[in-house]
Amino acid sequence: MFRNDFTITKRQLGLLLLAVGLLAFAGVLSIDLIDAGREGGIGPAQRIALALAALIALIGLTLIPLKDDPA
Amino acid sequence: MTSTSLEQPSPRVSARASGRGAEVIVERLSGALLLIAAVVLAFYVGVYFVYAINLIGFPFDYDQGEGFELVDVLMLSEGRWPYQDIEAYPFYGSIYPPVYHVLLIPFAWVFGPEYWYGRLFSFITTLITAAAIAYAVNRESKHRWIALVAGMAFLSSNIVYHIGPLFRQHIPMILFETLAIVVLAHVNEIADQQRRRRQLALGMALLILAGYTKQLAAFSAIAALLFLFIRQPRRAIIWGAGFAAVGAAIFVWLTWATDGHWWTQTIVANVKDFDPAQAIGLLRQWFNLHGFLLIPALAVIVYELYFDRLSIYSLWLPVNAALNAISAGTWGAGDSYYATSIAAVCVLSGIFAARTLNRTWTFQPNVYSRALIDPLRRYARPIRMAGLILVPLLYLGYARSVLHMPTTGPVFGTIADVLDLTPNAINGFYDSAGRVTGGYADIGHLTTRADRSGGELILDRVRAIPDDVPILSEEAAFSLLTGREVITNPVVLYILDQVGQVDSSGLVAMLERQEFGLIILRARFYPPTVNIAIDTYYEPVETILMNGFDYVLLRPRDEAPERGS
Repeated sequence: MFRNDFTITKRQLGLLLLAVGLLAFAGVLSIDLIDAGREGGIGPAQRIALALAALIALIGLTLIPLKDDPA
Repeated sequence: MTSTSLEQPSPRVSARASGRGAEVIVERLSGALLLIAAVVLAFYVGVYFVYAINLIGFPFDYDQGEGFELVDVLMLSEGRWPYQDIEAYPFYGSIYPPVYHVLLIPFAWVFGPEYWYGRLFSFITTLITAAAIAYAVNRESKHRWIALVAGMAFLSSNIVYHIGPLFRQHIPMILFETLAIVVLAHVNEIADQQRRRRQLALGMALLILAGYTKQLAAFSAIAALLFLFIRQPRRAIIWGAGFAAVGAAIFVWLTWATDGHWWTQTIVANVKDFDPAQAIGLLRQWFNLHGFLLIPALAVIVYELYFDRLSIYSLWLPVNAALNAISAGTWGAGDSYYATSIAAVCVLSGIFAARTLNRTWTFQPNVYSRALIDPLRRYARPIRMAGLILVPLLYLGYARSVLHMPTTGPVFGTIADVLDLTPNAINGFYDSAGRVTGGYADIGHLTTRADRSGGELILDRVRAIPDDVPILSEEAAFSLLTGREVITNPVVLYILDQVGQVDSSGLVAMLERQEFGLIILRARFYPPTVNIAIDTYYEPVETILMNGFDYVLLRPRDEAPERGS
């Protein structure tokens, strides 16, 4: 990774985005799980954040088959 | 592994020859439509020039808070920090970094407290930003016509139009961000080490300048560092560490030099309430206005994700759009937060348009090109012809979406009549964005003689107050133009109050003692305790209309309650 000619591949970027998307999705959901006393359920901003996290994870998943192509 | 174009040689030469006539017609139609789109966008650029000239000649505050940016300039020109102890007289502070104000210091030395040079400076920076966008598109595509259209598309955005000629630091921030992104876009391809390092240093310096012009530039810095990391992690880490070290050193120095007020006012004060409805409303509005260019911009990102290498622009747009969409929901934020993402949209949509017209889309052979692109190759010709028509239609659709213009006067009045436009904003201005979303700035209209007269009338009221009696004005112009001391910066006071970082008792005590001979209010952006003291010890005596807003003038009450009651 610290070589002068190293570059991130599509697969590595895909795995990274998949991890970020899943973590973000779990994080946004956990706001309600941790803050159990809060009323109103999942709000509109949270829904957008969840959709965004899912999209990031999906993009990551679809990049994995591209293997070692440079990102 | 080689990339292939969507088009492949067809054996049916005769059919191709017979279809050439249709292709020529489509090419000519495309050119004509693109010319119409360019003319319409050029019209918006003309409207922008008219607005800028009108605003540069207006001697009072136009957008809330412009005058306090001028105060920052004047203080810095006198060797004083604007980040003062806001609890002590004259209760002044600033929430913005100093680069824009520092750049205006020479003008302050020569011309004093004037609005025109800050507005002219901002206006010129938008023109340079548009030129940088055009340069970027031309460099990527070698299509000068589309490059020109992309630059004009930036200036045609309602949001860019709004803020372009204002005395605000947001606009030069966009310039520094855009220049940084354009400088760094191909830095990894530079073989010569010395040249590459110089270019990296220049890009990083521009990002630091942008960040110390306004904090929101951090989002562009994130995008730029992500791009460098994807292309070459080692280089990104080394240069990122250097960038962070320089940025942090400046930050620590500013905090030390201002006795910590820099930290309190530019960082703590910016932790503001979040309004999801405002954030979502502005996001929808951004899409409604720029959707015709946003969709092709997103198409380029998808293309680069699956069939090419990611460019810096493909990271700049989503990172900025996502983070600014969140920031736009905070108190005091607005549509201007999307201006940087509009620059990115214009670059990427320009690349889309140029590649389509140039027929230079190529697809790396991979699982997706085999599944999705190869089956379409037999339709390459009709797809290409559709693309030739689609590109100008996208720009025409965009031109219709961002329709904004004055509806009065011999030229604009006639055009407005032809288009059957009914003004929906101040002073006969029409803005396709409407004025329905919270956080969307109520500006863009031209100022009139009546507005100027309103400002002059307020100045007369101020001049009637003895020089040794202070006045409290919510806008700095009325103090600056009468040679009086500017007392407090209401918005800074308000947001520091919201986060519990200020004690306004000093100002409240002055109000209780009725030390101000006159108070001028526009939006009452003071902390609740200050507003209560104003209402308790002062009474409205006159309302003067200027620039579409009511300026309420208050004098001390004859029979005020006991202090502190």
